Order: sequence, then structure tokens, then C-alpha cells
Amino acid sequence: MIEIRDLKVKMKSLEFIFEDFRFEKNKVTVISGRNGAGKTTLLRVFASFLDYEGSLKINANVTYNSQEPVIFNRTAYCNIVYPLKVRKLDISLYHDKIIEYAKLLDIEHLLENNALKLSSGEKMKVSIIRSIIFNPDIVLLDEPTTHLDLESINELTQLIKKLKSKITFIIVSHNKSFVDDLKDVEYKVGGKNVLS
Amino acid sequence: MILESIIEAFKLLISFDPEIYSIIFLSLAISILATLTAAVIGTFLGILISISDFKLKRFTKKIVFTLMGIPPVVLGLVVLLLITGPFDGMNLLFTKSAMYIAQTLLVLPIIIGNIIITSEKTQKQILETATTLGASKIDKIFLLIIETKPFIFMSIILGFSRALSEVGAVMLVGGNIKGDTRVMTTYIALNNSMGEYSMSIAMGFILLSIAFLLHTLLARFRGDFYD
Ligand SMILES: Nc1ncnc2c1ncn2[C@@H]1O[C@H](COP(=O)(O)OP(=O)(O)O)[C@@H](O)[C@H]1O
Ligand SMILES: [Mg+2]
Repeated sequence: MIEIRDLKVKMKSLEFIFEDFRFEKNKVTVISGRNGAGKTTLLRVFASFLDYEGSLKINANVTYNSQEPVIFNRTAYCNIVYPLKVRKLDISLYHDKIIEYAKLLDIEHLLENNALKLSSGEKMKVSIIRSIIFNPDIVLLDEPTTHLDLESINELTQLIKKLKSKITFIIVSHNKSFVDDLKDVEYKVGGKNVLS
Repeated sequence: MILESIIEAFKLLISFDPEIYSIIFLSLAISILATLTAAVIGTFLGILISISDFKLKRFTKKIVFTLMGIPPVVLGLVVLLLITGPFDGMNLLFTKSAMYIAQTLLVLPIIIGNIIITSEKTQKQILETATTLGASKIDKIFLLIIETKPFIFMSIILGFSRALSEVGAVMLVGGNIKGDTRVMTTYIALNNSMGEYSMSIAMGFILLSIAFLLHTLLARFRGDFYD
């Protein structure tokens, strides 16, 4: 699904070097590496937000769910249907699914609240549902567990397990039990040159 | 002496002198029209500049930021040269239209610049998120206008403050003609130069009250956003 070869990304004074790899379809790949290793950078390259050198092949549509949830000033429900709206899909066909996912992540009672006023964890849940609702081929989850409590992490694990046959997940997370529970493949990030 | 002037000023205000009220009205009318014009053009240009990637982007931004601080009198001079030079045939010198044009040009960079500065980070995150969720360019422009509404309002109010409070541009292109192109600030400047402080204080008081109202409004928009 995603294949990288001789991939390098230059920042102002840094250069990240990524080992060659193939991210396989319908496998949950966990990206590991220390703070500042370039995990977010790699996901942002996959989302085509960043320029790179080398070869990157992606034959699927990719959605990036950022580390700090970016929420629009409207209800949680309206946030979730945004990708359906811009794709001109019939929202009513997705209603049951939205309720199902919201119930699973325990935010069903918040769907009509303004999402900007939710807590960080709740915002993250809204943004995750928004990222998966339109069935993209690949979903990139950047530290989705940061603001979540233990129970919520379990609920998210259930959701991902439920969807992994349809959606390929590439996940950055430092939460050991979450990772161990989901991981099919691991990809380590860490190569970095300081440019002078 | 100061106290006397202040008392005199309040007497003037409640005297309902038609000249004073027509001056206030003209000030507000010109500044509001100029700000609205600049708001429509400026919001569009500001958002366009921030979401587009083009060669001279940095340079364009620098020009806009420089123009944000242009002394009104210099801008007035430029407009004056234009309307007495290439656009001489339009008979704009010392007219309300010339004042409107000058103020629009004065406010435009303030609105564009503020929209660019204040919402750059928000814009970037919103744009990336919208892109990754499948939004088209038009979708993104609409989303940005909606999501950065508080910034846009703030920029517009800042622009209006500047239009209402400047003297230089309206003085130069309007000429401060009594009963025609005289506005609050040029009125203050004139009365002061004639030693009529109470008139100035009265007008100054009104300007301050309007500024106070505007900034109360501004605080509300800020509050809405940062809540
Ligand atoms: N736009 C940028 N300009 C310069 N440096 C950046 C930029 N984005 C990220 N970096 C730097 O790159 C490093 C790796 O960032 P990141 O990919 O976010 O790491 P992480 O593995 O923790 O997600 C950090 O040290 C960060 O400061
Ligand atoms: Mg990161």
C-alpha cells in the first residue's frame, strides 16, 4: 500500500533518513521511535503535507489524524460529517454508523455539543471518528492515546480491531498495552543527521 | 481652564448643534463604507495570500506589513497625486469620494495583514485537516472564512479604528471644507489650531466613546474564540 525507498526528509537543520519499508494492506503497523525521531514527520509525508527526497509509492487514499486534534467550530456531529459533506455523500446513510462509533467511544451524548468546547480526549475521539467515517483506505493515527484515559484506550482498541479488515491503520503510539494489543507489524524510526 | 473646556464640551454635545452631528455622521459614514469595502476585498485577498503558494509570497507579505504602518498623511499624498495626476478628469479633489478612496486604501493592508498574521497557524492546521478529509479548494476557502471569523472581525474592527482616527489622509484629499468634507478628526485639528479646545474635547470624547464601544465588541469576539 505504501512503499518507501531511500526516503529522506530535510528540515531546517535536520535530515531524517527512513529505512526502506512496505506498509501492508489490512495490517496494523505501529511506528515506534523516541521523541523527535521523525514519526510525525513520516506521517506528514504520507499525507503529502511535506516534501521529501527518494521514492514513495502510495496507491490508496490516506487520511492523517493529527497528534493535537484539529476541530472545527461546530457540533461534534457536524465535525464528523464534514468529510462526507465535501465528498457529496449522502449523510443519512452514515447516521447509524456515526451513532455506533460514538457509542463505542462513549461520546454519543456529546454529538450535539460544540466540539471546540469538548475536552482534549473527547476532541480526539471526534477527530478519529471523522477520519474513519468515510472509509479511507489508510488512516494515519498520530499518538491517538495521548489524551485518552485507560477505558477510552480500550474502547479505541475495540474500534480499530473492528475496522482493521476494511481500513489499514498506521499508528504512532507510546502506550505499550495499546500497541501490543493492536500491532501486526512494527516500523522503527530514528535515523537522523544534523546538518551544519 | 481644562474643567471649563470639559463643561463647555458637554454643553456642545447636548446642544444638538446640527453642524456637529453632521460632522459625526460624515465621519462614521465614510469610515464605515471604506472599512466595509476594504473588508470584502481584504478578507478575500488575505485568505487567498495565506492559502496560496507563490513565488513572491514573502515579498508580498513584507509589502503588506509595511503598508499596514504607512502614515495616513503619506497615503493621502499618494492619493492626492493620483487624483490630480492620472485621474484628474474625475474631479475627485476635495470630495467625499476621495476621502472614501483614501481611507479604503488605508484600511485594506491592515485587514489583509492582520488576517495573514493572526490566523496563520490556525489556517495551516485547518487547511491540512480539510485537505486530508477530502475538501476541494472552494470548500477550504469557505471553511477558512467560517473558522477564522473571529480573526476576520478583529481585523475589520482594527481597520475601522484606524480609519476613524486618522487625520492626515482625509485632510489632504478632502480639504476639511466646512459643511462638506469636514470630519471629526479634521475638525479637532482645526479647532485646536485656533485655540478652541472645548470643541476639540467634545469631538475627542465622542471618538473615545466610539473606540470604547468598538473594543468592547472586539473583546467579545476574542472571548467567543478563546472561550
Ligand atoms: N517544520 C519544521 N521545521 C523545523 N524543524 C521541525 C519542523 N517540524 C518538525 N521539526 C523537528 O523535527 C523533529 C522531529 O519531529 P517529529 O517528526 O514531530 O518527531 P516525533 O517522532 O516526536 O513525532 C523535532 O525535533 C522537531 O523539532
Ligand atoms: Mg510526533
